[in-house]
Amino acid sequence: MASLKRSFDRGPFAANISSKVYVRSTKSGKVQKIVREVYLRQDIPCSSRLCHVCLNTVPKDAAGQAIPFVLSDAPAGTSVFPQGHYLVPDTNALLSAMDLFEQSSAFYDVIILQIVLEELRNRSLPLYNRLIGLTKSEDKRFYVFFNEFRLETHVARLDGESVNDRNDRAVRKAVAWYAQHLARTKARKVPAVVMLSNDRDNLRKARDEGLHACSLTEYVKQLKDGDRLLDLIPETEDRDTAKGKRPGEQNLYPEYFTMSKMMTGIKSGLLHQGIFNVSPYNYLEGSIRVPAFPKALLVLGRENINRAVDGDLVVVEVLPKDQWKEPSSQVIEEEAVTKNENPDAEGNEDFVSEKERKALQEDVKRTQSKTTEGHAQPTAKVVGVVKRNWRQYVGHIDQSSVSQSGQQGRKQDSVFVIPMDKKIPKIRLRTRQVAELLGKRILVTIDAWDRGSRHPSGHFVRSLGELETKAAETEALLLEYDVQYRPFPKTVLDCLPKEGHDWKVPASIEDAGWKDREDLRDLLICSIDPIGCQDIDDALHSRPLPNGNIEVGVHIADVSHFVKPNNAMDNEASIRGTTVYLVDKRIDMLPMLLGTDLCSLKPYVERYAFSVLWEMTPDADIVGARFTKSVIKSREAFSYEQAQLRVDDGSQQDDLTGSIRILLALSRKLRQKRMDAGALSLSSPEVKVQMESETSDPIDVKTKEHLDTMSLVEEFMLLANTSVAAKIYDAFPQTAILRRHAAPPKTNFDELSNQLKVKKGLELSVESSKALADSLDACVDNSDPFFNTLVRIMATRCMMSAEYFCSGTQAYPEFRHYGLASEIYTHFTSPIRRYADLVAHRQLAAAIDYEAVHPSVRSGGRLEAVCKNINVRHRNAQLAGRASIAYYVGQALRGKATEEDGFVMKIFSNGFVVLVPRFGIESLIRLRDLADTEPQATYDAESYTLKTTGSREVTVELFQKVRVRVTDQKDETTGKRGVKMELV
Amino acid sequence: MASTQHVLLSPAELAYLHAALSLTPPIRPDGRAPAQFRPLIAETGILPGTNGSARICFADGTEAIVGVKAEVERTRLADGATAGTEWEEGGSARGEGEDDDGGDKAGDSDWVGLTVEIPGYRDDDAGTAFLGAMLSEALLADGAFARRLWINRRFHWKLYLDILLISPPLSYPLPLLSLTTHLALLATRLPLLKSEGDEDPFFDDDWAAARHLYPRGSGSSRTTKESARPPVTLLVMAVGNNIIFDPAKEELAVADVALAVSVAEDTAVATSTAATMDLDDAAVPAARSLRLLSIRTIDPPSRLTPPGVPNAANSAYGATTAQNQPEARTAEAEAVEGVWRAPRGGAKPLVMAALVQKVLEKGGVADEVLDALDAVDLG
Repeated sequence: MASLKRSFDRGPFAANISSKVYVRSTKSGKVQKIVREVYLRQDIPCSSRLCHVCLNTVPKDAAGQAIPFVLSDAPAGTSVFPQGHYLVPDTNALLSAMDLFEQSSAFYDVIILQIVLEELRNRSLPLYNRLIGLTKSEDKRFYVFFNEFRLETHVARLDGESVNDRNDRAVRKAVAWYAQHLARTKARKVPAVVMLSNDRDNLRKARDEGLHACSLTEYVKQLKDGDRLLDLIPETEDRDTAKGKRPGEQNLYPEYFTMSKMMTGIKSGLLHQGIFNVSPYNYLEGSIRVPAFPKALLVLGRENINRAVDGDLVVVEVLPKDQWKEPSSQVIEEEAVTKNENPDAEGNEDFVSEKERKALQEDVKRTQSKTTEGHAQPTAKVVGVVKRNWRQYVGHIDQSSVSQSGQQGRKQDSVFVIPMDKKIPKIRLRTRQVAELLGKRILVTIDAWDRGSRHPSGHFVRSLGELETKAAETEALLLEYDVQYRPFPKTVLDCLPKEGHDWKVPASIEDAGWKDREDLRDLLICSIDPIGCQDIDDALHSRPLPNGNIEVGVHIADVSHFVKPNNAMDNEASIRGTTVYLVDKRIDMLPMLLGTDLCSLKPYVERYAFSVLWEMTPDADIVGARFTKSVIKSREAFSYEQAQLRVDDGSQQDDLTGSIRILLALSRKLRQKRMDAGALSLSSPEVKVQMESETSDPIDVKTKEHLDTMSLVEEFMLLANTSVAAKIYDAFPQTAILRRHAAPPKTNFDELSNQLKVKKGLELSVESSKALADSLDACVDNSDPFFNTLVRIMATRCMMSAEYFCSGTQAYPEFRHYGLASEIYTHFTSPIRRYADLVAHRQLAAAIDYEAVHPSVRSGGRLEAVCKNINVRHRNAQLAGRASIAYYVGQALRGKATEEDGFVMKIFSNGFVVLVPRFGIESLIRLRDLADTEPQATYDAESYTLKTTGSREVTVELFQKVRVRVTDQKDETTGKRGVKMELV
Repeated sequence: MASTQHVLLSPAELAYLHAALSLTPPIRPDGRAPAQFRPLIAETGILPGTNGSARICFADGTEAIVGVKAEVERTRLADGATAGTEWEEGGSARGEGEDDDGGDKAGDSDWVGLTVEIPGYRDDDAGTAFLGAMLSEALLADGAFARRLWINRRFHWKLYLDILLISPPLSYPLPLLSLTTHLALLATRLPLLKSEGDEDPFFDDDWAAARHLYPRGSGSSRTTKESARPPVTLLVMAVGNNIIFDPAKEELAVADVALAVSVAEDTAVATSTAATMDLDDAAVPAARSLRLLSIRTIDPPSRLTPPGVPNAANSAYGATTAQNQPEARTAEAEAVEGVWRAPRGGAKPLVMAALVQKVLEKGGVADEVLDALDAVDLG
């Protein structure tokens, strides 16, 4: 009987077939045995420019072009390999030191084996993505070699061999093959093929086989700036060797549950999964929102937080009721509490330090002294981390953690890094360059957080520069908020029109660019923007119609004409999501050429536009709306102030001014209608930093003035957005990109409405946005005009944030924009600076049959991913903008001391937060700042009053107007120049 | 089906066969000894996508393949307790549960799904259904098989056995299917469990780490109470006082009695001897002791064969009375030497006893078959 088995050892092509067997567990709980056949081939090139053999078999792309080879024919050498070398890292080398590979001073000509890439993807997706980024960059010369599919380098697993051993062997085999293959090229200088690994066994085996192999440390030492790079090698490597020596090491934290135990618990509803958030005021208090409960669960104390870091996806278990607590009313700052800790003495101290305990005791006292049992909130403890969300953190070295010996010499030293983000715990860092790094902004990553270590350990990535230099602080800000600020790559710039700045709207109407475009060049269109605005998104016009109605047009830059779906520029824009405005800098979403010239609706030139045209009655009732692509010629680009002056100046009687006046009149009516429907007028403290024009040093801070012309533009933009939203939803009920603002849960306002009731006797009704708007209007304190704004600011903080979404993911009633009281809304009017608008443009163009529907505009999954990304980017951009203002406000105040009015926004038992509207800043005043010796204080949580006695006697109440002295101060521990306030 | 298959033999041929098989020692048409099996060829692992598979080919050209697939299934809780609370308790009492596998790890016969397919027959054909029932009965008879599928108190493996005869059913396929199933189960591996206690199961993704459903090789496996190998079902028949194993189609056509006997390696050894066995294992292979699991009588086709007519009663030879009362003649005719007469009545108790004895005896057929299958590479 002939065997039916697939024979791997017979037949002429037997050698070319192999197979791979593994077990796949699906989400639904199925467990399957999977067998994959692997077809081995010999035409996978080595991609070295030295090699001529591979050139003959190299695969060609669809255009018949051979894919160019990546690895240099004259790679750089090191002290040990002067002839030049190619690197072949194994998975662990990449896992532990990806930062090294991203260096620009070394690590060129790297061969990434397929097996390594796959393993990396399974172990860490973010690292995998970074590596993919590297392989795409042209100058780093990283080549992915599909060793598993090449006949000579394929390795079949032996009996009893572990997967890891097999993969290590595959790496060695590939290294050996490369060495042999390159030797055959007969080049004058054959580069060495060097395996990089931290696995001793693997290194030894490689050397036994006669291959070049180095550990990361050995290799880095061969490089020129090796000492500097050594710090980038994470300390886990050193720890591996040192571990055995520390038998007395205790585990400080409880062990995490196994993944399967967590999943079982979550499914059965006993455990809960959610994103862990740390309170910005108290680093020992975290909260986690889980789907099972309407309110967030509290996580209190180091032990319960159990090594979770802000942003991690964690699993928690609810604690028994006797351990439920109130959220702390105290400010606990890590720097203050854990000051003077010794980073070297690990584990010897008590796990929860004496000071930390004290801080917690206060809490307990307070909770128990009161009868308000109902206030206790459910607490939980972290039992496991599903996904770490560690990124790179900006911080600086804690001066007090540096030992004397560390300041000189280059021996490796442990120090603490205090991240800029207060929610991130301090990170223990081992570095040889303490002396150089002191007083610098540095970028670090967290490598691990062992059970035996009080703080997470990390390694140094790079230095951004001196503290408080503009460049370092701006870069720090951009890194902290994950803003993509690198220059646009060449692939993106290649997508720009070839004519560059000379591009013009084609003169001939027969040209393809004019197809289906309306000629609106004779309309009196103008734009109104802030001073100095270069990226002009929108322009307006109005003209009376013969029937007594008015035609109003909003014209938006036609960005989608220049940015075609799915090309490199589109992808880059979708990743950036939005343009980020800092005080002195703008990080564009689209290349300058488009943003400030070709798309920008500059005056006196013809531009492509996407126009929304309404016919309105003089009472601002809409008769009809129409959308069209067009060509316009803006007559003038006004600033808000200019436009305002012109409107107010009765002597100006030209048509253009007349048209602005009509628009202004209509906008007031539109606004009134919106308010009647229940739109909220919210507020946030906004200021503007004035710069000296030459040095761009901040000289003064001003609150923003509100002009009528601002609301003119705003009203028509809102109208355009709403009209477009309705249109694209009509055309694409499943995939329209819209923006919603969910109604805030009632509980969000509990605190504020209670505060208003207790302190001012005012009622806040929150049933609907209309009711809220009305009750906010009623919140007036006659003695204090700012009070209303203060309440609005605080109410704004209770709201949900608005978000982009894809219409198929929500039911129609959920589309509502709560703040604008609009049933449906989208963003359409700023495609130069927001990606969502660009997508809306494409959808609208398809909806009016201007162009065919592009698949990317139609695919729900893709749009959801886009929405998710731009929601995050949008938020980060706002935060970065605010942080930038805060930094410059600090700089502007440098060396000055002014007295200003402030308002108490929040009260703790050991401090209170004051908002100074003049500068739009808020700051914490601690009790210990009040006098030299910290005064005794009693805090009455019922009436929100803090009364101090002893060294200084003051009574502070919520909403109270206080006089504060504002000075700048460089906080020695955080290294931030911040505003310091003192009660006068 | 197949046991009542039509055999194209004349009464005279039947009578001749019967006579030959009744001799001491019997003379079998293919010259085999009474307890000799037909040669077979076997291999495992022919279906890479299954958890275990095997194929056996008998010398008469019949051939079967068996594939075993396992799926994780949630165990229904008899007392109606919710899975959640069940898990909580399991977590605390985990240590105990693990040791005391006899009480806790109860299996259920639902955990095995078995389908038999015989070419040319519908799957609800009585014969096919009977074959399937016999095979699964043998599997479950030792009570320990389903227990192997226990993962934890909330989950178990559900095993699907697909048994396919891929040649036409030339002889009664029971022994072929049973042996193939046996071999497939021996080759079956289940992914290695990594989770503990009553958690949702979580498995090692390395197939090489998967463990055998019937762990092989080491002596330690012998000390467990469960049998180390799946059962086999043998077809045995008796003609007169002769006991004949693995009958061919023609032999079955003249059987007085045919039995399907299921045996398993008996490892229900008293725990006191387990220790000594361990010691023995090192030096000499432990003697195999067999345990009878089930016996089923099979209706031999011989009962439906037309009887021969003795010359004395044949009108062609001048007999006249026969035509008048044919029923009476058939019923009461005396056995005539050399004239075929379908067997009637049950098996004699003595023959039955001898038959079972023969199956179970040391060095007997079952032993031989198991030894032969032992030699198959489970790859």
